[in-house]
Parts: sequence; structure tokens; C-alpha cells
Amino acid sequence: MSARDSILSAIRTGLGGSRNDPAAIAAEAADLLAAPETIRPPLVAATLVDAFCEKSEALGATVDRIGSIDEVPASVGRYLEGQGLSAEIAVESAALFRDLDWGDLRPRLAVAPDAPAAVGLARHGIAESGSLVIHSGKETRILLAFLPLHHIVVLRAASIVSHLEDYAALLVGHETSPRNAVLITGPSGTTDIEGSYVRGAHGPGFVHVILVFDA
Amino acid sequence: MNATTRTGFKARSDAALANPTLKTAIDRTTGTAERKRAAALAGFAEYEAARSRGSAIKDHVIANLDHYLEMFERNATASGAKVHWAATESEACDIVIRLCREAGAKRVTRSKSMLGEEIGLPDALGSAGIERVETDLAEHIIQLAGEHPSHIIWPAMHRTREQVAELFNADHKPPPADDEAASMVQSARHVLRGKFLSADVGISGANFLIADTGATCTVTNEGNAELTTTPPRVHIVTAGIEKLVPSTSHAMALLRLLVRSATGGELTQYTTFHCGPKRPGDADGPEKMHIVLVDNGRSEMIANEFRDMLRCIRCGACMNHCVVYRQIGGHAYGGTYPGPMGAVLTPVLDGLAQSRDLPFACTMNGRCAEVCPVEIPLPTLLRAWRGRSWRAGLEGPRMRAGLAAWAGLARRPGLYRMASGIGVRALRLLGRSGWIGSLPFAGGWTRHRDLPGPTGGTFMERYTARGARRPEDRR
Amino acid sequence: MTRATRPRVGLFVTCLVDAMRPEIGFAAIRLLEDAGCDVEVPTRQTCCGQPAYNSGDDASTAAVARQVIAAFEPFDHLIVPSGSCAGTIRHGYPALLASDADWGPRAARLAEKTHEIMSYLVDIRDYTPGGLRLEGSATYHDSCAGLRELGIHDQPRRLLAAVDGLEMRPLDGENVCCGFGGMFCVKYPAISDAIVGEKADTVERSGADMLLAGDLGCLMNMAGKLNRRGSKVRCFHTIEILAGGGNGPAIGEKP
Ligand code: SF4
Repeated sequence: MSARDSILSAIRTGLGGSRNDPAAIAAEAADLLAAPETIRPPLVAATLVDAFCEKSEALGATVDRIGSIDEVPASVGRYLEGQGLSAEIAVESAALFRDLDWGDLRPRLAVAPDAPAAVGLARHGIAESGSLVIHSGKETRILLAFLPLHHIVVLRAASIVSHLEDYAALLVGHETSPRNAVLITGPSGTTDIEGSYVRGAHGPGFVHVILVFDA
Repeated sequence: MNATTRTGFKARSDAALANPTLKTAIDRTTGTAERKRAAALAGFAEYEAARSRGSAIKDHVIANLDHYLEMFERNATASGAKVHWAATESEACDIVIRLCREAGAKRVTRSKSMLGEEIGLPDALGSAGIERVETDLAEHIIQLAGEHPSHIIWPAMHRTREQVAELFNADHKPPPADDEAASMVQSARHVLRGKFLSADVGISGANFLIADTGATCTVTNEGNAELTTTPPRVHIVTAGIEKLVPSTSHAMALLRLLVRSATGGELTQYTTFHCGPKRPGDADGPEKMHIVLVDNGRSEMIANEFRDMLRCIRCGACMNHCVVYRQIGGHAYGGTYPGPMGAVLTPVLDGLAQSRDLPFACTMNGRCAEVCPVEIPLPTLLRAWRGRSWRAGLEGPRMRAGLAAWAGLARRPGLYRMASGIGVRALRLLGRSGWIGSLPFAGGWTRHRDLPGPTGGTFMERYTARGARRPEDRR
Repeated sequence: MTRATRPRVGLFVTCLVDAMRPEIGFAAIRLLEDAGCDVEVPTRQTCCGQPAYNSGDDASTAAVARQVIAAFEPFDHLIVPSGSCAGTIRHGYPALLASDADWGPRAARLAEKTHEIMSYLVDIRDYTPGGLRLEGSATYHDSCAGLRELGIHDQPRRLLAAVDGLEMRPLDGENVCCGFGGMFCVKYPAISDAIVGEKADTVERSGADMLLAGDLGCLMNMAGKLNRRGSKVRCFHTIEILAGGGNGPAIGEKP
């Protein structure tokens, strides 16, 4: 007997009796998600945007609010200048970014292992936790979110969802799931040495959100 | 699995108790963890409801585990991953080693996985001659020290900052600037960066396996999981079969509990879902993804008294709040998993005869069960091990004889009265001053503390002597 | 109160109180009577069975359990001056005898009417002791079984608030185990000692003159450690204080 068969048969023996039919199991699983508001915290502010911003800032991220995608280069420039970083930055290959006028900045598609800063695009924000969601894809290099010290993330205000389940509902079946979906909740950090918090363990030590109100 | 299993629990715990540095390290980390968890839950009014829902989700999965495993396998396969099954730890290691060899791997990176420790993967990779790079900061420390984790969330929590500095100074080139935690983290970031990008295979664990997408879910705070799983050609996940959840939404409900209970955060910095290998046209990602589903004793637990333990989401709260763990730390337990959850699991994994002390080295105070986010009745499960130990005759003859004598008396109230009367009179002779400083047959007690002597005859003697229910001798 | 409404309660003395500190048993009788109960002490009692229960010897525990059930089922309530013994009777017995068609239901019925004394006085009898005065300060340790198996937390504090002159001081880690654990403290004495050592530290840091708790086992452990260190903190079972015994000898003091 293969390991697979022996494990499954041991499980079935252990569970005993007749097995539930898939429809009944699915119904029970759905029931376990009922009344989500009773098992999760309410948002910390009245609007999705305010709640998202409050949470991200509490996590140590910084937020800049702009009126349109065209203002992204200027916002990035302000951040780089404020942090004393060079104008040469890695930028995600999103079509949205390619058409922008980057002015004095020198965007590059490659991201070096020790890149000081990179600009990426988030698919969603999650208001409950202040998380940013990125999906791997043709235009999105996952490493762009992990290699630089400063991760600058462009997020459209309209793409902020309320709670974790609202995002999860978008991932049903492998067809809707990217190879890699990452919820980024604040800068990388560790408490591995004596439980004391240090920023920037392997991933970015700084997360800067550029929130675009262009709906 | 650990080599330390071979020396006795008492010797290990005595050594731990005699080590003040260890105590300092334990207190610093568990103290912070306890405070942060309390703060996180104080701000989560829905916790109790979330907790019972979380327990129900895990129970539902276990009750339908065959269904969910098959569903997961179907979806993971459809996403392009390959699913493997391992009944035992050695089967699991064999599969991983074979996959590494097939990939022509010289160097593998690993992001922290307690299951990997459970199956002995670090040693197996070593014996296979494959270079293993631990990327989680704590695992990096452990690897440099040649040790095993002493905590499931903070594997290196037994080491103080100063001790970590010593290891890094010896290994890192250039060494860290000073022994502040921040400088040491910087140094590890620098040293490990190059290794991430040159690894052939990345190995990770999983906090959840999502049945309806076929994805694996991993949480890390450092970002090392992505750096481990993205650049190499092959990504291998090892996960216990109890990690299934029906959907991503169910995982989210459990994540709220896991993170708050573990670190006191709301969501770990990086919560990632891996669904298959690199898709056509993807900018990065591994060409192959393998998922090794490991049983290693779990399917047996479904049918016995330890089924509740399959709910465990490995948050570590039980050990952070355990008075015994906080005195002796994780290594003294001698298994992969320490603390209350380890005391339940280690006898499953290593056999009761090897680890019989663990279920007994517990005061049954119940704080572990109180803080467990999935309501595992840990003391009840430890009691079940005690019952098995008794029935298997693993108790020493002195203990059995003593208990037999006690039981004989306890079941004969008349005789018991006589015996307790005699015992109390004997103790009163020893404790004329009120206190007894040394007692031959209770050396364990009097070595460390005094025994208050009996204050007079037994209650029953005094009560019946008065022949009344309204004694006047109350003080 | 008329005879008919006075509950008839059976006092389960506990083996430790019987042997080591009968004063606690007499304090219990006095308080229960003051709270309007008729108290009896069935002579067919010895111990609740924890030494066997905690050793995994379920057969001996069940034998002792059946004896306790038979002795106490005629009463309206079984009252215990110990959260740990009350927890065993309330939760352990029904679990242990669950598959026994006769004793299972009897264990469940007894469990329902079994109470730790402080919670019984407050929750069931709505009792407040009167005319108590004791100068000094005290701190309270929540014994684990009472706290977690029975939810005893507010009751002792409410009762102690009725003692004039007694200042209650907070105890850091009041809900943390003292390291007694029954057989644990003699099987793993060094670990137990390390735990009770920390407890003694926090008790001394509270600055209180007295340490109170609801379980004699824990109290003997903490008092024994405090005395070994030469501490002046005096230890009492809470109901001794409530029965007016606060000026008498504390645990370990010469009678
Ligand atoms: S037993 Fe409970 S508290 Fe302990 S690690 Fe598992 S889930 Fe967390």
C-alpha cells in the first residue's frame, strides 16, 4: 500500500463509521464562517481609508495621500529626498508606472540584492489590519517587495477592502490564486533576540504607502 | 528526535535550573510575550467567540480530514505542485532528500518549520551532504550553535543577546558592530543575503494548507520565507496533515488567533500563500513546487484520547505561560516540542517510555489550557498520559507500593482514621516548634522548604471527641 | 430561618485539613452555620482521591470516588474548603465514571451540588460575615484549581472586604501557580522549589503581613518556603480569617 493510501485509510478507520457527503461538509464549513462580525475586531475608524491608515501607521509604515497616479513620481521623490536616498530606484514593471513621467528619478526594472528602495504596486489594502496585498505575476516580481530596505507601495484607495475575509473571498479555487499572494503588514522585523523588536530583519525595514485617490 | 532524549529529564532540568543565564533569557522573552498577548487580547473583544469558532473549524477539519486532504491534493496538483505523502519521519526525509538530489541541489535554504525539526530534516540534509542554510534569524543562531530550538516561536530564546553576539563574532565576516540586537540583525541580514539568491532549493513549512485552493500558507515576520521560496529553482513544503483548513477565509479566522496568541501582534508581517510553481510569464518564482504531507503519528491520534491535540496551531502561548517551562526552558523537555503541548506530543512522537517524565512534570494548574487559542484541554491530555503510564506499569515499584497502601487505607475510613491519627502524632513529635525542617521520607519537600507540622489531633478525632457539631475550641 | 429552608450540608474536610490543620474544618463549620446551614461531617470520608488521580491510577480513584458519592449523596450540598478537591469531585468524578451506568449519573448529580466553601458562601448563600475586625495587611493568592476549574476569583475578595481594618494588597502574578501540584512537588522538588521561590518573592514584594489563599496544599508550600527564607509573612486559609481566627497561630506557628 502506498503511503497515501495507508494514511488515508488510517484516518478513515480512526474516524469510523460512514463518511459525510461533500455537500454536507461544505455546508458545515460555510456555517463556520457565519456572522463574521462576531469573531473579528471592528474597524478602528469609520471609513476603510481612515482605518487602513491608522493601522499602517501604528505598524510603523508611513502614508502619503495623493490625488492621481500622475503624482506618484513626485511623491516618490519627496520620500527619497526625505530619507536621503539616491534617485536611482527599482520600479515594478507595471504598465501603470511605465507611462509616468519620472522626471529626475531614474527608475530601473532590476532590483539589486541590496537595493536601497523600490516602488511596487499593491492589489489591495486591508483596513482591518493595515495590510498591503501583492500578487506575483507577469509584472510583479515578488523579490521587489523583499530585497530593498525601503519598500514604497502604491495603493489605490478604492482597492482597500474591509476585513481579511473580504480579501480571502477573492481567492477561491487555484484558478483565482496567484502563485504567491503576500499580505504585508508593516515593515519586516524580528523579536528573535531576547524578544526585543528590531526592524528590517531580511525584508524592508521601512514601508511607505502612497495612497492614490483617483476613483 | 533530539539527541538529548537520551539523557534523563531530571538531569536536564537540574542543569537548566542551575543556569542563571538561561533563566534570564527565558524571562526576557516569555515575559514580553505574555505582556504583549495580554495587550492584544484586551483589544479584541470578540476573542472568546473567535476562539470557540477557531476550535470548531479545527474540529470540523479533523472530522473530515480524509475529504480535505484529497481536496487539497486535487487543487494543489491542478495548480502545478506535486503532492507527496509520508507516513513516518524517515519517509518524509527520504522524499525531501530525493527531491533535492533530483534538483541537483548543493545548497538549500530553509525557513523555520517545526515540522522540519520534528522529522529531523536538518540532520538528514547534513548526512546527505547538502549544505543547509537556515534563514530565520533564530534558526541561524541555532545552526551556528549546533543546537535544536528551545521554543516553537522563538527557537533561540534560551540565548541571551551577549551569547548571540559571541556566535556572530565568530562566524560573521565582518562581525557585527556591537552586541545590540539591532546590529546583530543587520549583520545576519548582510551575511544571509547572498545565500538566499544562490540556493538551488528552498524548503519551508506551512501554518495552513488551504483545501479549496491547494495553496500553503506561511507566516513570517522577517520576510525570509519569500526569500527562501522565490529565488531557488525548486520549492519544497513539508507540512503535517493536520494543517488543513477548508478555505482561505477559515485560515484568516485562525490567523487572528494564532498571531495574537503567539506574538501579541494582529497579523504577522508577512502572511503568504503559495499556490503552485511559477506560472507562464511570471516575473519570478520556482520552476517546481513539491508538498510533502507528513503523518508521523497524527492519524493515530484521531482515534485515541489525544485527538484534541490535533487542533494545535503551534502558537506557543501554552509554554509562555507555563511555570515549569519558565523555569527549565525548552531543551530540558528533550523532544522537538517543549512546554505543555510538547509534553503531550513528545510521547506520541518518541514513545511514552522515552518521555514518561513529561506528563508528570506538571502542576496541573491549567493556565496553558486557559491561554490556548483553540481550547485544547492540555491538563486532561497530560492526565491521559499518566493513566497510560500507570496501566503500562511504567511507574517504579516504590511508587506503586506507596499508592497501593494509600488506596487500601483511603477505602477503609475506620482504618484510615487510625493511621492518620498515628501519622499526625509522629509528625507532631518532629514538629514541636511548629515547623519541621527535615523529614526523612519527604526529603523532596524539606530540602527546599519547611513543613508546617500538624496543629493537634486530626480533625476527625477532635470532632468526634466533642460529639458535637458546634465545637468551642475555635481560635 | 425556618428549619425547612436550612440546607443540610455535608462537610468534606479533605485529608490535608484533617491531618495538618483541623482549624480550617472548624472554621468551615462555623461559617456554614452562620450562613444558615445545618452542617454534618460524614465519617465515611478520607480523601478525594487526588494522589491516585494525579498518578494515573484511575481504578483506585474510582473506588475512592464511589465511596465519597455514597457518603455525600444524601446531603443538599457537599462543601469543601479546597478548590482542588472540589474540582476533582465536580469534574474528575463524572469524567472518570462516565461510562458506568449506575455511578456515572450519581457522580454527575453529586458534582452539581458540590461547592468550594467561599464560592458557596457568596454565590449560593449570599453571605457576608459580620463583626470582623483584624488590623494588618494581607495579599491573596488564587489557587489554580479553584480559579480555573471553578471560577473562584471575586468571592474571597468580596468576603475579605467585610473584615474591618484589613488592608488588601495586590499580589503580582496572583493567578500564577505556586509550584505545589500535589505529587509534583515531591517528584520534581527542584522545579517546584524554583517556582515557589518566585512566588515567595512576589509575596514579599507585596509588603503584606499575611498571605491568604483557599487551598491548604498551596498554603503549606508557600508558607514552608517563606519560613525557610526567614520571612515574617504569616499564612492562613482565608476562611480562618473569616471565622475570626486571624489573631491565632498562622500556618506553621506553634499552637
Ligand atoms: S497547545 Fe494551544 S497554546 Fe499550545 S501551542 Fe498549541 S495552540 Fe498554542
